Amino acid sequence: MSDILEPTRPAAIPGDQARASVSLKVPPALAFEIFTAEIDQWWRRGLRYRIARDGRGILHLEPGVGGRLFESFELHGRTKVIETGRITAWEPPARLCFEWRAVNFKPDEKTEVEVEFTATATGTMVTVTHRGWAAIRPDHPARHHLEAAPFLAMMGRWWGDLLSSLRLYARPS
Amino acid sequence: MRPDVDQTLAALADPSRRAIVELLREGPRRPSEVAAALSITRPAMSRHLRVLRGAGVVDQELAEGDGRARVIRLRPAPFEQLRGWIEEIEAFWGDQLASFKAHAERVYAARLRESGSPSGEAPERDPEGESQR
Repeated sequence: MSDILEPTRPAAIPGDQARASVSLKVPPALAFEIFTAEIDQWWRRGLRYRIARDGRGILHLEPGVGGRLFESFELHGRTKVIETGRITAWEPPARLCFEWRAVNFKPDEKTEVEVEFTATATGTMVTVTHRGWAAIRPDHPARHHLEAAPFLAMMGRWWGDLLSSLRLYARPS
Repeated sequence: MRPDVDQTLAALADPSRRAIVELLREGPRRPSEVAAALSITRPAMSRHLRVLRGAGVVDQELAEGDGRARVIRLRPAPFEQLRGWIEEIEAFWGDQLASFKAHAERVYAARLRESGSPSGEAPERDPEGESQR
């Protein structure tokens, strides 16, 4: 637990997270299993969703904390592997977290994806929260002698408030 | 991340500039008012304004009723870009989850057909599992 970002889980930061959810007629345990073990079968194909140029890379998610989420594909006769991140929480059938690094991120930049599986009367509600975007910027807090966690918390809370107030304040032209 | 969003975040990375923006949320203000309210010196104020204007976070307009006084106000555009970025990510995951739902429900329905019970324990994989749409 030496990770500096741990004490202030960015969960509390409004405005710094993207959320999407879907409800399915499948029990949570099976939903979790399919989400992880069959990721290549449901993960959308095409350039917007996969890294390989022809959009035909294969997605892998290794089960358990420390497992990798990566895409593999053949390039010039060799297998190329591009890692998106490592699994940071593996709590079947309820919850899964993994790091998310886009290919254009700098080495120290990462965001986090949390997937929650909640039982409903008809099956499961799956919610994806992708957070940590406020950290992805050119001037890293370390250069301003501010610790990353407080800076993120401050920045994110502030940013979220600002977004909601600007919607009221924004005026035409 | 796109450069315009980078620029906004860079402009907002400074505590004094965030305080200025914070104050402007209440409405347009003269630069001198802002400087006085936040105890910022005049040179520092113009430096911060230059950065904020450069990033398109604020602009200046003539105050109503007094043609000579200028006020600064927030521009919604950069914040909408930040919002737009978040919305793109939400659209990405929305698409993925729709695809996941279609696949998972197909697999589950196939297992129910095979086992005749909703236990979800049937070992066989749906032979049609690969076909999309």
